[in-house]
Amino acid sequence: MRGHMIELSPANAGIRFNRFLPYWAVLQTDLRQTLRSWVYRLWVLMSVLGACGSLIYRVGIKEETGIVQTASSQTQNLLRGLVIAGVGLVALIAVSAISSERSSVADAVLSRGISRYQYFLAKWHARVLVVVGTFLVMGTGILCAYHFFLDPDITAMGGLTALLLIAAVLAVVVSWGVTIGALANGTVIAITTFWLIIYGGIIALSLVPKPYPSPERMMEALPYVLRGQYDPSTVLQPAIATGALCLAAAAVGLVGYGRKDV
Amino acid sequence: MADKKAGPVVETAHLTKIYQNRQIALNDASMSIEPGAILGLLGPNGAGKTTFLRLILGLHRPTAGYAKVFGRVMHPNAAELRRRIGYIPTNPQFPKGMTPITYLDYIARLFGIPSDVRKPKLASLIRAVDLLPHSGEPIQHFTPGMTARLAVAASLINEPDLLIWDEPTHGLDIEARRSMLELIKTLAAEKTMILSSHNLSDVDEVCNHASVLNKGQMIFHGTLQDLKGRIRKNHYELDLEGDQKAITKMVVQLKAMKEVLSATLRHRRLDLKLTDEVGNTQVLAMIFQTLSDGKVTLISVRSVGMATEQAYLDLVEREEQRGFTRLYQNSEAA
Repeated sequence: MRGHMIELSPANAGIRFNRFLPYWAVLQTDLRQTLRSWVYRLWVLMSVLGACGSLIYRVGIKEETGIVQTASSQTQNLLRGLVIAGVGLVALIAVSAISSERSSVADAVLSRGISRYQYFLAKWHARVLVVVGTFLVMGTGILCAYHFFLDPDITAMGGLTALLLIAAVLAVVVSWGVTIGALANGTVIAITTFWLIIYGGIIALSLVPKPYPSPERMMEALPYVLRGQYDPSTVLQPAIATGALCLAAAAVGLVGYGRKDV
Repeated sequence: MADKKAGPVVETAHLTKIYQNRQIALNDASMSIEPGAILGLLGPNGAGKTTFLRLILGLHRPTAGYAKVFGRVMHPNAAELRRRIGYIPTNPQFPKGMTPITYLDYIARLFGIPSDVRKPKLASLIRAVDLLPHSGEPIQHFTPGMTARLAVAASLINEPDLLIWDEPTHGLDIEARRSMLELIKTLAAEKTMILSSHNLSDVDEVCNHASVLNKGQMIFHGTLQDLKGRIRKNHYELDLEGDQKAITKMVVQLKAMKEVLSATLRHRRLDLKLTDEVGNTQVLAMIFQTLSDGKVTLISVRSVGMATEQAYLDLVEREEQRGFTRLYQNSEAA
């Protein structure tokens, strides 16, 4: 501006807008920001250190005492511990997706050519991709390490199914986290509420009668799944339940955020 | 030049916003902005200016009424309408770790501008706002003037038809403010603009229309000339030169004129208030003749209160004084 004159061009009627570009822009930016965030790094570091520590301990028992350490049961113990301990951080990653940008999102992003639906979907997809993708990578590493260093009894199909089941549960956690973060008026309130829902939900679901799926029951069945000894219905039922919960979270988030003042 | 035959660029009807049944931020605001208008949005702090702009942008949903932009009702998912709007908030916030190039690229992608258009466009805008030497530096180290220029570039990247700039000269030094005003004048030839400002001299310089908000109510909407026309017209200040005795004698003569309500001399500045009964040009001709007869030289003559600031203050003051009568005199006030 100082000494420069902006050349005016005709109105934007000549520009061919790409309707999906705003979604990609938010998705890519959020992926980059999440992978750089301290919460994400802490979650990965905690998981890797926990897995390594556990593996060294189990290998030590096997080598020193000769007690059989089956990969399936030890992997189940580790994954259960990692999920219960890490779900708090995963919830933080999810809830902060939209709520942490509350002060600037309206002026910097939503005042541009992007719809609320696109913004919410981009944020939701980015966080699900990061959490599920990271878990699958870490989980594959854990399965391989346990398979090679402990007494191997994990099948490839069983391992993959087990990882996908836990990833589906994490996807539910992330989906509801993003939704609650989008609808709540404060990050702290949103995170506190969500932690209460998660840990309360885990306890409540463990009290549900047996035919119904629960995270606890799913974890108990994990060694059989890892060994490939499972009935397809035991996998199908949680898969449908988690898929339905993810879609419900997205629907609530889309409708709620689409009507919210920012 | 904007197409004057097209319908209003912005139209609001009974636009009302009540936050959580606790705070009435905007109350029954109806107005329209024609293509090519440069509207100054005036009002004290908390008057509802930012709420009004956010409703027009679809960032907030109205409690009642509607805001139409380019003939269509604005809502949170109306991305296609916002593609035609360039917005600068009061204090632009920028994502951390971005440079002007990455930021403008991000904003252009948020508008859905394809790569073959946005890359040349952002390069020319960075050059135009004089940020070329800083194009690779992190934005968080920028001065207020530099961030203001970057915000201008971001608001123009989609080649909008409507510009909504909230306090564009806020925090700028004299040189940057002057540049901003010159830019607004240049853009005024092509765009429709809404400028929210506390600085009435800025509005006076660049706007041709004005809206005044006070406590959530739109108490004026019209041309700037209409706003100025609402204030007392027959009040003048004359700076005189000549013999003091001659000036004093001339003042006595002026006071004797029935068209002169009051004539007060302070040093060599004469404060004159005239009646509305006779045309002011006729009375002023008589006064100038009296000055000439008394061999008093006229240095300058000013119309007191013709500034937008005075008109604005008068309007707000009158609105405050109306009390409950405003319930029944809304149409007259507008």
